[in-house]
Amino acid sequence: MSDHVVETKGLSKSYGDFKALDDLSIYVDRGQILGFIGPNGAGKTTTIKILVGLSRPTSGSAFISGVNCSENASKIKRLVGYMPDRFGSYDNMRVHEYLDFFGAIFGINRRDRRKRIADVMELTETTYMQDKFVESLSHGMQQRVGIARTLLHNPEVLILDEPANGLDPKARIDMRQLLLRLAGEGKTLIVTSHILPELARICDTVAIVSGGKTRAFGPLDEVMRSLCPLRSYEVQLVVPEQMGQAESILRKTLRESEPLTVSTTERVLRFPTVRSEDELARVLQGLVAGDILVSQFREVASDLEDAFLSISAPGLSKT
Amino acid sequence: MSFLENPILRRELFSRLRSPKTFLAIVLVAVLSSLLVLLRWPSDATVDLVSQGAMQVFRPVAFALAVALMMLIPAFPATALVSERRRGTLALMLNSPTTPWQIYLGKFSGNVLLAFVILSVSLPALAACYAMGGISIVDHLGPLMLVLFGMAVQYTAVGLWVSSIVNTSDAGLRWTYAVVLALAVLSIGPTIFVGKLSGFNSLLAHWATAISPISALQSITGSQAQASEIGISTTWPNFLGASLIITVLLALVTVKRLDPRRLERARPTGKVIGRSKPTNRYAGWFRRVSYLVDPQRAKSNIPWWLNPVMVKEFRTRKFGRLHWLIRLISVSGVVSLLLTVVAATGTVSWGVERIAPTMVLLQVALLLLLGPCLGANLIAAEVESGGWELLRASPISPLRIMIGKLMSTIWTLLLMLLATLPGYIVMGYIQPAMSGQVGNVVISLVIAVFMVTTMSACISAFCRTTAVATATSYAILLSIFAGTLLVWVARGKPFGPLFVERALLLNPAAAALAEMKTPGFAQYRLTPDGWYIGIGISVFCLAVLGLRIWQLTRPK
Repeated sequence: MSDHVVETKGLSKSYGDFKALDDLSIYVDRGQILGFIGPNGAGKTTTIKILVGLSRPTSGSAFISGVNCSENASKIKRLVGYMPDRFGSYDNMRVHEYLDFFGAIFGINRRDRRKRIADVMELTETTYMQDKFVESLSHGMQQRVGIARTLLHNPEVLILDEPANGLDPKARIDMRQLLLRLAGEGKTLIVTSHILPELARICDTVAIVSGGKTRAFGPLDEVMRSLCPLRSYEVQLVVPEQMGQAESILRKTLRESEPLTVSTTERVLRFPTVRSEDELARVLQGLVAGDILVSQFREVASDLEDAFLSISAPGLSKT
Repeated sequence: MSFLENPILRRELFSRLRSPKTFLAIVLVAVLSSLLVLLRWPSDATVDLVSQGAMQVFRPVAFALAVALMMLIPAFPATALVSERRRGTLALMLNSPTTPWQIYLGKFSGNVLLAFVILSVSLPALAACYAMGGISIVDHLGPLMLVLFGMAVQYTAVGLWVSSIVNTSDAGLRWTYAVVLALAVLSIGPTIFVGKLSGFNSLLAHWATAISPISALQSITGSQAQASEIGISTTWPNFLGASLIITVLLALVTVKRLDPRRLERARPTGKVIGRSKPTNRYAGWFRRVSYLVDPQRAKSNIPWWLNPVMVKEFRTRKFGRLHWLIRLISVSGVVSLLLTVVAATGTVSWGVERIAPTMVLLQVALLLLLGPCLGANLIAAEVESGGWELLRASPISPLRIMIGKLMSTIWTLLLMLLATLPGYIVMGYIQPAMSGQVGNVVISLVIAVFMVTTMSACISAFCRTTAVATATSYAILLSIFAGTLLVWVARGKPFGPLFVERALLLNPAAAALAEMKTPGFAQYRLTPDGWYIGIGISVFCLAVLGLRIWQLTRPK
């Protein structure tokens, strides 16, 4: 048996001729957060549904804590806390009643349930809204209640489909902190999101899927390095009048594959490059030798969005 | 912008015409009207000098078309505004240069034009009546078309008005049909049941009967004598006048409600008393005494011996929440006792034999009012709200979900029946010979409860939206409970006694009426065969429901 808490091996799912998932193999270790990224229709929700026991794969297998997701769906449901992208609200139901209902259908006895509801409400900071009707809550509040609901039966793994969708910046920061806190408590999280900078801040591992196939999978920095080998550099000058002189020096030094862009208002010159550190040091040396006053010479970090865009370029999904 | 260029009218009309529901409605009206003509077509070769034969064909066709319109026309406008508001498209329309009047008239005329299309398919059947002779365009066909048009206009206005008030599509459907029923049937109640009135009351009752198309149709189909017997004297022009007034008034109110500021409603956040404020204990006690159940009281955790799905249904359903049900059940109990006391004291010349059918009909009416709506909400509402996905992701078994959902409706309806038991017990005390009959009536009604619940739950499991499930449940259950009574009304001609008895076997309410020896039902032997059929239908629906729930919960 593998040590990974969540693992899929050659997972495939077809609907007639359409292949929603094609040989997806990923894993997540305990206490880690996996960012599951892909354009619409990439196969994220299909994978999630297989992992929570709501769908069966056409071939391949998925395991959570060693339990086969398609063969033992009832056991999986106790191991996983699942928050779909739709909240699943009921009319005329207060937050406390809502959590009590889900606690009851997970078979938590009355006394434990009372304590558990108080605990999860405290953890998700929802205690103050326990007497409010769930349908009257704002989207951000509902997302918190949704997470409280997934935590009720104390699952090992949390699978959250778009938890930050539609949240305002403050609610997004709160959500990020909550997810990090849960990972800190040893929970394993799989999070899908379209807000990639958000994911980049919390994920240990990312899996990028497109057209049902895994395009990239691994620790965040490794994925970034493999997908974005072209680094972007920028040179900021002290004196705006030296912009033209600096531009001509750089144009002589750079190759055609390193197009230079000039932003006069920012006093910045940018270029993408695959040069080594030594070669870049010589570029800087050339500027200094030309009496250019350089205030900054730095690499602009590529973000997850760049990686995602490099993967989901048009035509790639059909390959 | 000319009338026909109104984009809302074009969108409404085209989307309705493209809808399979409209196609189904058109086919239904065409088949129904043709079938009635075929059934009533005279088989003998005798020359009909006084045109009685033509009238006997024309009369059921006219009433059937009216009933079909009453069932079909309000369905579309009942959800027209509320669904736009929930989707957010009403705000977009109100934010455009389109005025509230253009929105209203677009939706209104779209629906009325649709009524024309539906009615047009009945023209061959009406032409057949005309061809028989004795039916004139000026005295019969023209007025009938005007009355049907008046109904379409009136019920469209009612639907749009209700739709502008309610918060959900299924509430729109429910309340629209309730208002239509009140306008069409209950409006003639004062005249029939109170008897001859005088002065201003008489005038009011006269105008109330003008609201209903029943008197207008009777005047067109040559049934004035029957109408006069029960005190109805209004004619079709009265109905058209009343329809016009109601339509204009409702249009004004609805357009007023289309003000964007009035559409902004704060979501109720709820208020709980009794969790942390012991000082409110007396207020809570007072509320509980006043309203029987205090809806603001903090609910306790669900105990292990109760099915959580059942408790959730009682707490959350949109229609028929526990505190309202308990009040309704109390009222049912009081009414049944009052009716029995009336029979016992003899202040009115109504004996037990007249009170008992009245009670049966009241119970069945309540059952048909509540049952389909509660049952239709069970699965469709859960799927619509996204709650079903959460139930699927939980370890609860499909069987427990089904039991919880069914019991939430069955308990409600059985409690309602139980509330009227004291009345039956008193009845048995007054006439001890009736005890056996009362027992059989209770059995018939319990079977009716199971039939209504399992059928509507079964329909709900195959629908994606609550509104569709509600409308379909009402249509099918009304066809069984009211449709078979219509067959009974047409006993003798065209339906023979055997056909009528077979039709009535489907209806547990008819079995209850037959057990009570109600006039017109006493000659039919509907028990125990009717019970077996009712139980058979319930078991079949239960099996289909179980399979469907299993299918909906298993991994895809």
